[in-house]
Amino acid sequence: MNIKKMLALISLLVITAALGACGGGGGSGAAQGKIVIGTQTYSEPKIIAEMYKALIEDRTDVKVDIVTDLAASPIVIQAMSRNEVQMATLYTGEIFNGHFEIEDTKDRAAVLRQAQEGFDKNFGFKWFDPYGFENTYAFAIRKEMADEKGIETVSDLGKYAKDMRIGVDTTWLERGNDGYRAFVEHYGFSFAKAFPMEISLVYEAAASGDVDVVLAYTTDPGIKEFNLKVLADDKQFFPPYDASPVIRKDALERHPELEEVISLLIGQIDAETMTALNYEVDVNKRTPREVALEFLKNRGFLQ
Amino acid sequence: MDQNGIGALLVYMQENWAYLLSLAWNHILMVLAGIGLALAVGIPLGILCLRSERLAAFILAAANTIQVLPSLALLALLMIFLGLGFKTVVAGLFLYSLLPVIKNTYVGLKQVDASLLEAGKGIGMSPLQLMTKVRFPLSLPFLAAGIRLAAVIAIGVATLAPLIGGDGLGREIYAGLNMRNSLKIYAGAIPAALLAILADVLLGRLQGRWSRRRNAQAKT
Repeated sequence: MNIKKMLALISLLVITAALGACGGGGGSGAAQGKIVIGTQTYSEPKIIAEMYKALIEDRTDVKVDIVTDLAASPIVIQAMSRNEVQMATLYTGEIFNGHFEIEDTKDRAAVLRQAQEGFDKNFGFKWFDPYGFENTYAFAIRKEMADEKGIETVSDLGKYAKDMRIGVDTTWLERGNDGYRAFVEHYGFSFAKAFPMEISLVYEAAASGDVDVVLAYTTDPGIKEFNLKVLADDKQFFPPYDASPVIRKDALERHPELEEVISLLIGQIDAETMTALNYEVDVNKRTPREVALEFLKNRGFLQ
Repeated sequence: MDQNGIGALLVYMQENWAYLLSLAWNHILMVLAGIGLALAVGIPLGILCLRSERLAAFILAAANTIQVLPSLALLALLMIFLGLGFKTVVAGLFLYSLLPVIKNTYVGLKQVDASLLEAGKGIGMSPLQLMTKVRFPLSLPFLAAGIRLAAVIAIGVATLAPLIGGDGLGREIYAGLNMRNSLKIYAGAIPAALLAILADVLLGRLQGRWSRRRNAQAKT
């Protein structure tokens, strides 16, 4: 008796699995008339994905699904090369993650060109020109302090740095070509003390005076929320991370009308705008969809 | 809990109950499917282990090795072969559940009193009958303990599903983490914790029932 019940239970569970796999597995978007946009975990690519969903569904017959919270950009790229995701927002600095051989440079145009050519040749992706913002590392300080001491650029920090504490994310101190050691060599000064911490906490730490300088992510709304000033990287230390829409070329061949719609946002979102949009989601707790639609309406892309 | 308090959480959960329920249901489906597969594969492997000590050492070592991999790494690795979504998560949960199922089947079968097996042989049972009528039923409480352990682990690991394109309560947790919205985090994490407790209690009862039945059978 027991054995039969057991077998029945197991087969039931296995059938559940099989059904689930058929019913719930609908991630593959190769189907006609549909594309899937994949996003990383943070708000920025989610907002942009919602913009494209609204634009594409408004102007073409293509339906758009969004898969959010993929663990990291290499996973997004992996999913794109398996054709489970056709489109994403990626950053030119992605080329430093070892997808293919690159020539080491920090020149914005050269990094973009390498991303466009490399992903075209090795992955069959079309890497569009940037939206108009980059999300990279940048030093930031309290606005009052910047005004008081007349600090505009990273070089200006030089004469105060030996008395300053800096808050950074958990990896920067150990990073290779764009980490602290390379920074010291590049700019020729170091800080009194560096505190590695969770990135979302550094902004508040700067505002409250626990640290004097933070290494921010440039489009993070924490900069605006805590009234910080971003300093210009005058000696070009950090590699560029310009954001662009990226799509599989075969999806573009199937739906050539997408090219025009995707191009609508090219050069349309500067860093300030993107930061403001992130702010709406991260600080004001609105949904990425709401924020995306509002942006499109304000800019006249949608009725 | 932050300044929003429990009241705000309840309001949020009330407003989004249909969505949260669908996430919870998806979560349960992934776990059931993963454990079902683990039972279908693990029990035969456990029985196979009984055949030879050397085979047992090999199979258990293999299952142990899987267990050692960090869960996100395992899921990311599986994603390369299986792609995004439900089936990849199920495959990951299946692999994670294998060790408790195999090991507990094996240990359960092994501890059956030799005199009972002799008695079975004495009344002319075939090896198959010995397994299905004596050995396996007597090992069930151990198997139940294995399923219990596997279920609790699987419910936890399944919260990672969104990171490889799956669904489940993890979606709410990750949305909350990234939007710095603690309500969402709690709305995902508390039901997931409750699921784990519920699974533990229910399977604990099953384990108790099978134990009592086993003791009754052993006496007769």
